[in-house]
Amino acid sequence: MIKPKRLLSLLLRFIAFGTTLAAVILMATSHEKGTFFAVSYEAKYTDTPAFKYFVIAYAIVTVYGFLVLFLPPGSPIWRLVLALDLVFIMLLISSISAAMAIAQVGKNGNPRAAWLPVCGQVPKFCNQVTGALVAGFIALITYIILLLYSIYNFLNPLFEKA
Amino acid sequence: MALQNEDKLEVGYSSLQPKPKKWVLLMLRLLAFFATAAATVVMGLNKETKTLVVATVGTTPIKATLTAKFQHTPAFVFFVIANGLASMHNLVMIMGDLFGQKLDYKGLRLAMIAILDMMTVALISGGASAAAFMAELGKNGNSHARWNSICDKYKTFCDHGGGALIASFAGLILMLIISVMSIIKLLIKPKPDSTTVVP
Repeated sequence: MIKPKRLLSLLLRFIAFGTTLAAVILMATSHEKGTFFAVSYEAKYTDTPAFKYFVIAYAIVTVYGFLVLFLPPGSPIWRLVLALDLVFIMLLISSISAAMAIAQVGKNGNPRAAWLPVCGQVPKFCNQVTGALVAGFIALITYIILLLYSIYNFLNPLFEKA
Repeated sequence: MALQNEDKLEVGYSSLQPKPKKWVLLMLRLLAFFATAAATVVMGLNKETKTLVVATVGTTPIKATLTAKFQHTPAFVFFVIANGLASMHNLVMIMGDLFGQKLDYKGLRLAMIAILDMMTVALISGGASAAAFMAELGKNGNSHARWNSICDKYKTFCDHGGGALIASFAGLILMLIISVMSIIKLLIKPKPDSTTVVP
């Protein structure tokens, strides 16, 4: 019989894996043709290094999440998983922060630098990128909850004394 | 006889106490504080004004004054706030280490320090990464979206921003080392001491 702690941890990890996979797929398949002052061009995620970084970072974490799903409960590798969780959370935060900074400029433009917003010409691309960022955020929050839960379980003897 | 043995055990244990580690952690926190404070200040005071001749009416040229400030970009605002919070965190931790050794909350002092350190690492990494990509956009522009680079016009702004970014990344690496050391301190601290009764 699976213990409830193990079930909760497994469920959280599955949600995290699912949302990172969704973020990668949404961002990688976002492309749209648009016209910009009578010049037709295609907006893809490879146009900006920030979006490329987002896809690469979330792909790495998807593979990691997939591998951790199959780790048996008693093995000593769980301590390494705890440390790697922290490292990957940092990677996720960095990539989603960068992608959001560039996406914000794309949506609102920056009039002082004469940067015009792009979302008016390619609305489907913008919506898909927004969806990828939302999925990325949910994945990040799930990983943070997982990390705090793992630390709480690990330090439970310390908390019982309090 | 038993008391002598206990004394020997205590002395042996205290000589194995990681005494140099306390100073190493304090020095690292001081360095991280200086790095993040430098990043905050340099980016916070980042401003460049240029006067350009826009048009000529008759014989008098019309000049326009354009400023580049860090507040124009939300990513840089986030960068300044994140590094400011990180330097406040380091300052509070240094004060706590030097003057508040007795402060504790139900024995969770080390756990709170470790968790706060992890949160600060996450914050700095977010701010530094967003500002780095915005700076790359400002330096190289983006041909697909028809965004021109601004660094050739505002060279000092870009240089100062780059310096602040370097300081922030140095602060990030230092904070990562500090966070790892705090977690190690949390995990190897001997939990049962000789005075508690094991149920």
